[in-house]
Amino acid sequence: MAEAAYTVASDSENTGEEKSSSSPSLPEIALGIDIGTSQCSIAVWNGSQVHILRNTRNQKLIKSFVTFKDEVPAGGVSNQLAHEQEMLTGAAIFNMKRLVGRVDTDPVVHASKNLPFLVQTLDIGVRPFIAALVNNAWRSTTPEEVLAIFLVELRLMAEAQLKRPVRNVVLTVPVSFSRFQLTRFERACAMAGLHVLRLMPEPTAIALLYAQQQQMTTHDNMGSGSERLAVIFNMGAGYCDVAVTATAGGVSQIKALAGSPIGGEDILQNTIRHIAPPNEEASGLLRVAAQDAIHRLTDQENVQIEVDLGNGNKISKVLDRLEFEEVNQKVFEECERLVVQCLRDARVNGGDIDDLIMVGGCSYIPKVRTIIKNVCKKDEIYKGVNPLEAAVRGAALEGAVTSGIHDPFGSLDLLTIQATPLAVGVRANGNKFIPVIPRNTMVPARKDLFFTTVQDNQKEALIIIYEGEGETVEENHLLGYFKLVGIPPAPKGVPEINVCMDIDASNALRVFAAVLMPGSSSPVVPVIEVRMPTVDDGHGWCAQALNVKYGATLDLITLQRKM
Amino acid sequence: MLSSSPTSFTHPFLSSSPPLSPISPPSRTARISPPLVSASCSYTYTEDSPRLHQIPRRLTTVPASLYDVLEVPLGATSQDIKSAYRRLARICHPDVAGTDRTSSSSADEFMKIHAAYCTLSDPEKRSVYDRRMLRRSRPLTVGTSGLGSYVGRNWETDQCW
Repeated sequence: MAEAAYTVASDSENTGEEKSSSSPSLPEIALGIDIGTSQCSIAVWNGSQVHILRNTRNQKLIKSFVTFKDEVPAGGVSNQLAHEQEMLTGAAIFNMKRLVGRVDTDPVVHASKNLPFLVQTLDIGVRPFIAALVNNAWRSTTPEEVLAIFLVELRLMAEAQLKRPVRNVVLTVPVSFSRFQLTRFERACAMAGLHVLRLMPEPTAIALLYAQQQQMTTHDNMGSGSERLAVIFNMGAGYCDVAVTATAGGVSQIKALAGSPIGGEDILQNTIRHIAPPNEEASGLLRVAAQDAIHRLTDQENVQIEVDLGNGNKISKVLDRLEFEEVNQKVFEECERLVVQCLRDARVNGGDIDDLIMVGGCSYIPKVRTIIKNVCKKDEIYKGVNPLEAAVRGAALEGAVTSGIHDPFGSLDLLTIQATPLAVGVRANGNKFIPVIPRNTMVPARKDLFFTTVQDNQKEALIIIYEGEGETVEENHLLGYFKLVGIPPAPKGVPEINVCMDIDASNALRVFAAVLMPGSSSPVVPVIEVRMPTVDDGHGWCAQALNVKYGATLDLITLQRKM
Repeated sequence: MLSSSPTSFTHPFLSSSPPLSPISPPSRTARISPPLVSASCSYTYTEDSPRLHQIPRRLTTVPASLYDVLEVPLGATSQDIKSAYRRLARICHPDVAGTDRTSSSSADEFMKIHAAYCTLSDPEKRSVYDRRMLRRSRPLTVGTSGLGSYVGRNWETDQCW
């Protein structure tokens, strides 16, 4: 990445951090970055509080996009758009967060094919082809590259303002991201010269911010143990995330997480389809008009939509709120389902909730607010956070905490005890997904299960690792696989194959596998340790290829447990 | 698929499972002392995992009780337990303890604390644990006879959520 190619004007605004000229003995404070599907923000602990950086246009929320219009690609940090529609000519790539780490059979990728840039799918389980229109030619790129270009701009902007090199960052990520997607995020950061200290599920970053606020307001530090239960609902343009957290004394314990790739983009596309004349291609103009209508519907009962599509077609239509809600009913139902599931997983009843925190752009939609308030049995929404800044503020706090910064006033005596958003396990018992570490297990975590062979004298076993919630492996994300060899000849069901999974505090997953024989207490072959994920692109193919090559010959089944 | 039919992960006893029969139930106790510990030091198991499973075993030298782990008295209220957990988390959680080191020891430490918390913060699990502990250590207090009903209970099923 040619960094010199990006010029970022030093910010005129006085950021007012006197400590930023960091003396070398001080640890570098990691920055918090919230890469949103549609907008992005970056913040840092300035020694006494979280400071959100602004771009040259004095914006805290920076549009997430990269244009390939000129020789050099330019992202939303440095690039000035004359008009909203300029983003919709095909020259700009946006919504990368929805595309990163997804294969071309993914419905979310298919839903992105309406966007003005090129998203081409071959539907065979490989990465989609993505390209921007430059001088009437499609210039190919990848979501990681686009993210990296954007992150470089963010980094240069931060370096100019903080007057120091920026390397360590904490990023927020959607709950529903698979570990494979997380590695894509990490790769984009690496391409941008950034080192990721933590990838935090978005609602857990908000939980940390909430924990800090609770600690500041109630000074009975953990003594009385007045624990507050909060539901955090975060819905942006691309993803919807929910968390239930128990907070006291600056410690936020994540009880449960739930997430889904639904968001404002789905609502927008539903609305476009609804207002577009038949046979009308989804144009940039239409997109802008629909977006505007949705925004206005948050405080109006109905809106007048007037668009001249330029090709002789004109739209003149009144869209009322009920109509809008009907068109998007499925999205709203999914929001409700996520909250219900999260409450159930946390073993919490709606009535027990102390605070309902709603953040993200979609949290302004009246219907969403009504639904979530109902499920949580709360009349009021927590007012202590800015819905569009909460995630980045939490990430910046985590950045300071993990960098080992101490605050004399105790504002950083904070901790989020994380939980796993998705189960990780192995393929066994035929095509079943057997979780070894279930969803919502406290992190760091280490758990193991015993399996055994399915054939007499089976010498080898395939350990195939998946992540997700589905009962069969096909419904889950493949993370990797390896072969355990050297199983001593024995009747099927005798060898004991121990699969142990370990997730450390920085969320790295390692899988251990060992072969034991009954009566013996040490593994018969060296234990295998593999860091996951190992698969690269085309993981849809890997599972198929393994199946073609080995069938069920190297299968495993769970070993019967003593009750 | 040879393997698919007879076994069911969650209800191994509901299905007749011929392929599984070779594994006699007692052999499962081998799990309690994870043999893997000795396997290699890269298997960072050591301390932690045996501890969790040792509780039901009487032969081992009495490990620290879960109350010791959380540094609370036996009669601690659930409030005490919660705040002790939080206090220890602020000290032992790898995010706080090991500033960017490969702090596997603090992770182990914290997993212990969390396991103790999971048991003691759940009234049902706690009473089971209390009875078991009383019976084992023959304390001075009146040992409510915890009869045999829990002997077979397997602590590895105590999954925290």
